[in-house]
Amino acid sequence: MGRFILRRIALALVTLWLLSVIIFVACEVMPGDVARSILGPTAAPETVAALNEKLGTDRPVLVRYGDWMAGIAQGDLGESYAFRRAVDEMIGSALWNSAKLAFLAFLLVVPLGILGGVTAALYRGRSVDRLISVGGLSASAIPEFVWAVTLILVFGIWLDVLPVTAQAPPGSSVLTQVEYLILPALCLVLVLFGYLARMTRAGTAEALDSDYTRTAVLKGLPRRTVIRRHVLRNSLLPTIAVVATQTGYLLGGLVAIELIFNYPGIGRLLVRAADQKDFPLLQGAVLVIGIVYLVATLLADIAYAYLNPRIRYGRAVG
Amino acid sequence: MGEAKRRVDEFRRTSSEVENHLIDELSAGKINRREFVRRGTVLGLSLPALSFIASACGGDDDGSATDATDTTGGGPQAGGTLRTALISPSGALDPLTVGDEGGLAVLGQSGEYLAWSDDQLMLQPRIAESWEPNEDGSVWTFAIRQGVTFHDGTPLTAEDVLATIEYHLGNESNALSALTGALSAGNTKLVDEFTVEFTLDAPNGNFPYLLSSDNYNVIILPKTYQGDWESTFIGTGPWKLDTYTPEVGVTYLKNPDYWDASRVPLADKSEVKFYEEEQARVLALQAGEVDVLSNFSVAGGESLLEDPSVTLIEIQASQHRVIHMRTDMEPFTDKRVRQAMALTLDRQALVDGLFEGRADLGNDSPFAPVFPSTDPSVPQREKDVEQAKQLLQDAGKGGGFSIKLESWQGFEIPDLAVLVQNAAEEIGVKVDLQLTDDGAYYGNFTYGGSRWLDSPFGITDWGHRGVPNVFLGSTLKSEGTYNAPHFKNPEFDQLVADYVAAFDLDSQRALAKQIQELLLEETPAIIPYFYYHLAATKSVAGVEPTGMGHFDLSQAGFVT
Repeated sequence: MGRFILRRIALALVTLWLLSVIIFVACEVMPGDVARSILGPTAAPETVAALNEKLGTDRPVLVRYGDWMAGIAQGDLGESYAFRRAVDEMIGSALWNSAKLAFLAFLLVVPLGILGGVTAALYRGRSVDRLISVGGLSASAIPEFVWAVTLILVFGIWLDVLPVTAQAPPGSSVLTQVEYLILPALCLVLVLFGYLARMTRAGTAEALDSDYTRTAVLKGLPRRTVIRRHVLRNSLLPTIAVVATQTGYLLGGLVAIELIFNYPGIGRLLVRAADQKDFPLLQGAVLVIGIVYLVATLLADIAYAYLNPRIRYGRAVG
Repeated sequence: MGEAKRRVDEFRRTSSEVENHLIDELSAGKINRREFVRRGTVLGLSLPALSFIASACGGDDDGSATDATDTTGGGPQAGGTLRTALISPSGALDPLTVGDEGGLAVLGQSGEYLAWSDDQLMLQPRIAESWEPNEDGSVWTFAIRQGVTFHDGTPLTAEDVLATIEYHLGNESNALSALTGALSAGNTKLVDEFTVEFTLDAPNGNFPYLLSSDNYNVIILPKTYQGDWESTFIGTGPWKLDTYTPEVGVTYLKNPDYWDASRVPLADKSEVKFYEEEQARVLALQAGEVDVLSNFSVAGGESLLEDPSVTLIEIQASQHRVIHMRTDMEPFTDKRVRQAMALTLDRQALVDGLFEGRADLGNDSPFAPVFPSTDPSVPQREKDVEQAKQLLQDAGKGGGFSIKLESWQGFEIPDLAVLVQNAAEEIGVKVDLQLTDDGAYYGNFTYGGSRWLDSPFGITDWGHRGVPNVFLGSTLKSEGTYNAPHFKNPEFDQLVADYVAAFDLDSQRALAKQIQELLLEETPAIIPYFYYHLAATKSVAGVEPTGMGHFDLSQAGFVT
């Protein structure tokens, strides 16, 4: 188990390094001029040149990459071009905001998705199953920004019961913050529920059809015990994988939702940095999101291994 | 009337030649009262004096003074917290580098300029009490207001003003885009504790605009300023910083010690919230999360236009699109081809379709109808397909041609591009569209590295300016930094230089007429419209936005 984790961490580091090269090259080939995008179209050319020199964007690529890497090695992500604030600080607060939203979304969607998936599997082929499967799939098929606008119109403007932006006023209590986050979290629930329920349904169905379940049933165990001890433990494995992969999406891919709900999360920060050619911010944000992805999948793998004896003991046996 | 006339005569004796000329123009009926007041404020005459002269000398009021503010609800009430939705500033809040609407609007809340360019493009004296040019407009003297204090209690003097201007002249400031060629470092002078003098590079009849809110970087800073605006927000304005949360917003408290008692804020507090997306801003106003929306577009805020609970504020502005045609490249080397392209557009249809009528027609020159110097007698170019076809025939391109139109995906540009494409088809010209993102289109903003400046045919967006000088100088003059059509015309260059130097409206308008006619004839670019600045409020009155994007909330308050 220890060796398995070490190998995964080493692999993760290589992946991150590759990511850093890719993002750096991508920034390099992006058209446009850094100082110009900060100063706007009417700034005098001399002013633009002076700012480029001040920011150091006129130095050779390799020098800048080396500088950036050296900074990262010391835990310093540099300073944002446009905002002239420390990148790690900006990413930190954005990531924290994204985490709050992701947490609330998970808190709602995981139990709902599992419940829905298991129910659908237990009543396979019946109307409940069809309702959950088709309904969940349809909800996922509608893009998140469409849900966002629909929910805002219904709950924020017509019924006027929930705030239309996700950012609670500074210094709000946890409860108020949750109130502000409900609509965006609801969007995510709608988008993720179908996927999660389907994976759980498939896992549960497979477990229900398996030999060990048949044995348990034939052995005379009550249905409730069979489901709890034999079906659920096995069927939840794919669900964990889904949750892990969605963590990355929730902490970095929520661009549309964050923009529509005006929420200062990491997705919004990322778009903005790309838009303004704020390379230190963009590169730092991509790297941090990469780390989040890798950590989430690593944790999922560990949890998976822990729950699944075939993986846990696999190495020792063969 | 005899007494009034005597007083006017007395005033005229003490006035300069330029000022007397202005009064002549008013008496002769060449300008109306509104333009008289506007020109007078540029020359530094006080508003009470101007309105006295205007009433004494007749001068007809063209009725355009009707205010957009709705006073049926008994006027704005004092107290409360005003909440405004503003587009997020795109970078650090630094007076030196700010170049975006969000940033400039934030600066303008607690900071002040020598003068305020209001929604009618009139200069309202602020930190400067008055100003005066020498005979040819090459030296301008500003009298600085006494009794103004910064938010930290330090009194403001002419030294602070001088330090601010020198700070911009000596650094990589965005203000230089307007000041370059007008005022250079070293040509500023402290006359006494409350007087400063600027010696210009060349005579400039509109110089005060360059130190007004129109050149939004030059808010007056304390002479001890260290580049720390973001942490202090220290200015002299009616609002004082309370809290600032980057990416989220700013809250202000009213400044009870503000120098102008008539502009001490009515509300106790003002909250400016940052929104990245227009859709989020519009929804926030509709849901009642904010009371004021400082700016929105027709395309993004269509639902507001019909909403009975929303009060719209429309301001005529000079923001526009330029469709340039490279005069040094085929197929546009022949001016008849350029004229033909311009004749294909039905401008009224564009204005109705793209802006629901909330725009002025453009006449292929930067002289927007909102500028007082624009000569309205120059005939408007209308759609004329027959003439366009004939011109193409005469130019030897009767069979039409293919051309790529380049621009970027922003504002209403993609829609405009399609409409240009359809219109060109009527005269057999096949237009292919290449719409990229703004970075790819603008490139590095220099010749040889920018599709904007290198493409034969492209659409470019320009923001609002209080005077057309930048549009004329940098986008059309032979040596202009952003001369996308590569237009080289010595006669035009001379006319522009004369125009910039002129400071009575009569000669400005005479030169404008010549420039407008020359550009209509040469057509280096199509300028189809100048669209309005739109703002909206809900249960609030007294908000004063400007075409530039500033908004004055000092006299805003809730209405019942």
